[in-house]
Amino acid sequence: MSLLELRNVSKIYGDLKALDNVSIHVDKGEWVAIMGPSGSGKSTMMNIIGCMDKPTMGEVLLDGVDIAKESSKKLTDIRRDKIGLIFQQFHMVNYLTAVENVMVSQYYHSMPDEQEALEALERVGLRERAHHLPSQLSGGEQQRVCVARALINHPELILADEPTGNLDEANENIVLDLFARLHAEGTTLIVVTHDPEVAEAAQRTIVLEHGKVAREVVNENFEAQQKEWLARLKD
Amino acid sequence: MTKRRMFLRMITASLLRRRSRMLIALLSIGIGATILAGLVTIYVDVPRQMGAQFRSFGANMLLLSEDGKSMDTDQVKSALEVIAPDQLVGAAPYRYVRLDMTTRQQSFTAAGTDFSQIVKTSPYFSVEGRYPENPREVLVGKEIAETIGIREGSGMELTWQPSENETAGDPAEDRQPGAVLSGSAEGWSGGKVYVTVKLDDASGIASLTIDAGTQTPEIGGMVQTDEAFNAQFIGKSLPLSLGSGVDALSGATVTSAAVVEALNTARDAAKRETAKTVKYTVSGILTTGGEEEAYVFMSLEDMANLTGANRVDVAELSVSASSEELDAYAEKITREKEGVKARLVKRVTRSETAVLGKLQSLVFLVTAVVLVLTMICVSTTMMAVVSERRREIGLRKALGASDQSIRAEFLGEGLFLGGLGGILGAILGFVFAQVVSVNVFGSSITFQPLLLPAAVIVSMAVAALSCLQPIKRAVAIDPAIVLKDE
Repeated sequence: MSLLELRNVSKIYGDLKALDNVSIHVDKGEWVAIMGPSGSGKSTMMNIIGCMDKPTMGEVLLDGVDIAKESSKKLTDIRRDKIGLIFQQFHMVNYLTAVENVMVSQYYHSMPDEQEALEALERVGLRERAHHLPSQLSGGEQQRVCVARALINHPELILADEPTGNLDEANENIVLDLFARLHAEGTTLIVVTHDPEVAEAAQRTIVLEHGKVAREVVNENFEAQQKEWLARLKD
Repeated sequence: MTKRRMFLRMITASLLRRRSRMLIALLSIGIGATILAGLVTIYVDVPRQMGAQFRSFGANMLLLSEDGKSMDTDQVKSALEVIAPDQLVGAAPYRYVRLDMTTRQQSFTAAGTDFSQIVKTSPYFSVEGRYPENPREVLVGKEIAETIGIREGSGMELTWQPSENETAGDPAEDRQPGAVLSGSAEGWSGGKVYVTVKLDDASGIASLTIDAGTQTPEIGGMVQTDEAFNAQFIGKSLPLSLGSGVDALSGATVTSAAVVEALNTARDAAKRETAKTVKYTVSGILTTGGEEEAYVFMSLEDMANLTGANRVDVAELSVSASSEELDAYAEKITREKEGVKARLVKRVTRSETAVLGKLQSLVFLVTAVVLVLTMICVSTTMMAVVSERRREIGLRKALGASDQSIRAEFLGEGLFLGGLGGILGAILGFVFAQVVSVNVFGSSITFQPLLLPAAVIVSMAVAALSCLQPIKRAVAIDPAIVLKDE
């Protein structure tokens, strides 16, 4: 069953067709990577899927609702309720502690719950860093806080934009481990990246070029990878 | 944790952990509030301050007798009860009489008064020496002191005589119908001539008896019996002089003159009996630059002892109140208090009102300018804060913050700053007003308890208004900003 479906979506800025008649679909629980060089339309697609922009033409069905037709106020509601966002630049509120940053997401969604926020930090292995300010955290730690923030409201979809772009390899692996675990728990993941290694971790990769879907690659080794990861996590 | 607590936690964290920027905003609100609170304090206090200044120019209200005569002290006391005690700066009663200084052939206006009140109602009085403190001490106007060459510490004998127009209550016995007076004068060859005279209702002579036994019987002695000579005195008023109204008995001019003189002596003697002479000590010389320099001042008690009556001609009041309140007081005293009417000294009250009006409109103007400047300053700072926090605002929106939440958060920060700045301003403003007051008016001011909530509310309102434009800009920020690689 598909959670997200883009049907003949185009986004046109003046003369530039950032997205040109693109159709994709993502099933519930699937882990999909979207790849492509800069200017391929990745960011535009991310904005549209993340309910922060609307296509010029076409339909975007998220959980059966065409978000292309909704008002921006409604889009805010949908984004808050269904999507967890992870960014390349991490983006934490710099005057709030790690746990408070997680609670901000709860605050806008429903009700802040410090205990639950602390548990979320525990899941990303940062329980003991909960009361540190972003300036006291490393880049990897900040991104892990952002993962905790993205999953705190149990979203249908986690949308990550170059989540490992600013991380070293060790931290990249930590984040990918987290994704693997989320996938194992049944969360739908869309990871936008230009890093083939990150893309290879996904079940399926959609490659964009010049605003069009160039090809789709299914990861044949995915099952094996998952088992390996899970085994390693248990150690 | 409730949403409200998280809201407050976010706001306080934003203010406390981003100190430098917020300090600037706080400072601009605080300084604005300081100047405003200071000006308002002065504005409120200026009437009192200026009132005190104007009080030094003299009394602004007079109490007079309704029938143009004099009041008794109880009437004055009762009239003073109308005025709020904290507004009554002072009330000096005055009793004016003419006194003679027989040794110098001079007569002066003397005023009985209360020196402890004069200090308050007429602070411009300048005394060389000191105000009278003990019984039988007087304060002498400079003009008199120079005329008669009197100095501090000199003795001064003053005589009071009931004047011609004293009322029936006065002890002027020579004016009482039916009074019998007697006197004597030297006649021919040193022999005494005695007269006894009885007055009629109109103080004319009703009858007289002359004893001229020492005079030559056929010549001077005839004044005792000559009917025409005796009859010419009936109905005449004393004093008399020979040749005008009364004629001498022919051939007995010297004795006739002695009769007339004896009659006048009889009248003077009667008068001397009711006159009273007291010796006073001069405690000080008064300089005012005004008519008071021609007066002799003594205590009301001394005046009462001298004249035998404790009355007040006029009371000069110094009241610290607005001209409306003064009008109301004057009206109430005149209406409610029997025998007393109140009059305002318009010269003083009018100029006071005019100066106050100008000063207050100046304060108004400065207040308005400061308000606008504060608003511009806070608005600019908040604008800078918004552009500094563009990414954070974008992030919050990306995380699902509605426009309403963004508005609430920035308004919350603005109001918090406004409140804090208001408290700061109220305290510093009081200090500022105190300094101004001490330096300009030379007196301290009292803290207005209402100032604190007022300053806080105004500062919060100013902060909220200043935040409107920055908030508009914050709401317009596109959440997609967080996805761009900057």
